[in-house]
Amino acid sequence: MSSRDGALAAAYESAARAQRSKWWQAHWAEAASPLVRAALLIAILSVVLLPIVYLLALSLKTPDQVLEGLFLPTKPTLRNWINIFQNVPLALYIGNSVVAAISGSLITLVITIPAVYAFSRIKIGRFLPGLILGSYMAPPMVPLIPLFFLAKWSGLIHTLPGLIICYSLLNIPVALWLLTGFIERIPEEIEEAAAIDGASVLRTLCQIVFPLMLPGVVSTGLICVILNYNEFLFAFFFTSNTTRTLPIGIALFQGERLVDFGQMAVASLIGVLPIYLTAIFAQKWLVRGLTTGAGR
Amino acid sequence: MNSLAKASRKSAPHSVSPNRRRVGLLLLLPLIFAVLFSAAYPAAYLALTSISKSTMGKPFISWVGLNNFVSALQGDFAWSLTRTALFAIPTSLVQLILGVAIAVLLNSKMRFRSLGRTLLLLPLMSPPVMVGIAWRVMLHPTGGFVSRTLGQFAWLHTPSSFLGEMPWAILSIAAADTWQWTPFIVILVYAALQTLPAEFEEAARIDGAGYPRILFAVQLPLLAPALIAIYLLKLILSFKTFDLVYVLTSGGPGAETSLSSYKIWQTLFQDFNLGMASAQTLLLCLIVTLITLPVTWWHRRIQRTASL
Repeated sequence: MSSRDGALAAAYESAARAQRSKWWQAHWAEAASPLVRAALLIAILSVVLLPIVYLLALSLKTPDQVLEGLFLPTKPTLRNWINIFQNVPLALYIGNSVVAAISGSLITLVITIPAVYAFSRIKIGRFLPGLILGSYMAPPMVPLIPLFFLAKWSGLIHTLPGLIICYSLLNIPVALWLLTGFIERIPEEIEEAAAIDGASVLRTLCQIVFPLMLPGVVSTGLICVILNYNEFLFAFFFTSNTTRTLPIGIALFQGERLVDFGQMAVASLIGVLPIYLTAIFAQKWLVRGLTTGAGR
Repeated sequence: MNSLAKASRKSAPHSVSPNRRRVGLLLLLPLIFAVLFSAAYPAAYLALTSISKSTMGKPFISWVGLNNFVSALQGDFAWSLTRTALFAIPTSLVQLILGVAIAVLLNSKMRFRSLGRTLLLLPLMSPPVMVGIAWRVMLHPTGGFVSRTLGQFAWLHTPSSFLGEMPWAILSIAAADTWQWTPFIVILVYAALQTLPAEFEEAARIDGAGYPRILFAVQLPLLAPALIAIYLLKLILSFKTFDLVYVLTSGGPGAETSLSSYKIWQTLFQDFNLGMASAQTLLLCLIVTLITLPVTWWHRRIQRTASL
């Protein structure tokens, strides 16, 4: 009896082993993959971080050390980080960038939120979104030239308000695209109930739809802020000495001086710091904003 | 029931009450006003300047018909358009493939996934000018560590200057562009992957399919419409590449890397030839439309078959 039990157990064991090895043959790739995947992720992230870390390393080098062409500084120094504020009005550039980026984004939202509501809920002018998105295909030179002449004529050229108006116009297609994705996820029944209760269209928009859309509005606003902050072409032509934004400041710095890589690295790093902090702390909002379009 | 719903949806525009319509128009007013300034007026201005002799200082000197278009196509702008297409189409494709691979990786259960996602956002958020500068210093002939590191391998033929020699200059722009934009594609593909119902994967797994099989036979075909839409978006963005060229190569060596947007910028602010720049811009828009049209058509077809 007991020997039969033992034989049975042995047979069972060997069958299980066979099955396991079969499973192993079919699924070796998946079983080995946690390690492979971790290695891949590390490889990808090091490529992603390489330029940023290199800038950081450069910012700690003296011009002589830069010429050695090594990755890490041999004698790290904070000289660049201190000198930069004497050489370039960096605080002014960053201030201009922040003001232009945030105000532009707010005006874009004020223009597009009521419009999205009209398209999606009142269902009028539905041919417009396609047309506006189509205009986004055109290179940025298309609006640049005429708006440049308009700004020159109206005296808004080289002023921050002029740049802010441009930014608020430029991002309309993006904001329209993102906000449509958000408003269409809000069930219409709630508004219908409000309408039956006698709420006016404007009241429904302000007190019911807008609060429900708020997460989407924040995501859209953030994305517009970042697009504005990084914008180069319009800032190049619509600003002058005291109204320069950061990307222009960095680009001109590159042109003006005998290239001092260390200083340039510091300027770039200080400039992107606000954006990187936003990216890290508002990751959830940014990803949500970027992905509403793809989900449709 | 279904047909009833369809009918009611069809009649919806007519059932908008006059009052609601009036409020709706009021809500649209700011947008209409903005579009007049940002799209209608520029389009008209562009069309008119393109058929005139116009300089930056003095627009509309005289009407010249299609002369600007003809001389743009006879000059080196035609070559610049070709070069832009040769740059945009393959780099977007490479970025799409890389993006899908990384999104699939991030979609699997693993440690540090959310950290990885956060760090991936950084290139996308960086100003193109800063990206350009970072790559420029890395590739610099005397101080850059890329040239230095590669130079240590004697058997490797490396150029003395990455940004001053073809094909290295255009490859450098492509590399910087890929660094910056692949994360964007990753995020979009990742979101699309998450919209797939888990049942498909489970059913395939029960049938004994391994993950590679599931990916290629089940998930990617389901995602095809989204992937084509993402490719289209990146293609359009690639055709607009300006900042990277400006910072990395300024169009050199010679005019080898002057992509169309940069070329138009040169016509405008170095030659001050507004009429010619407008004609070039319209030609670029035409080419973008012609190239994206088949992709749009393909997208529509796949979407239709997917919904059947």
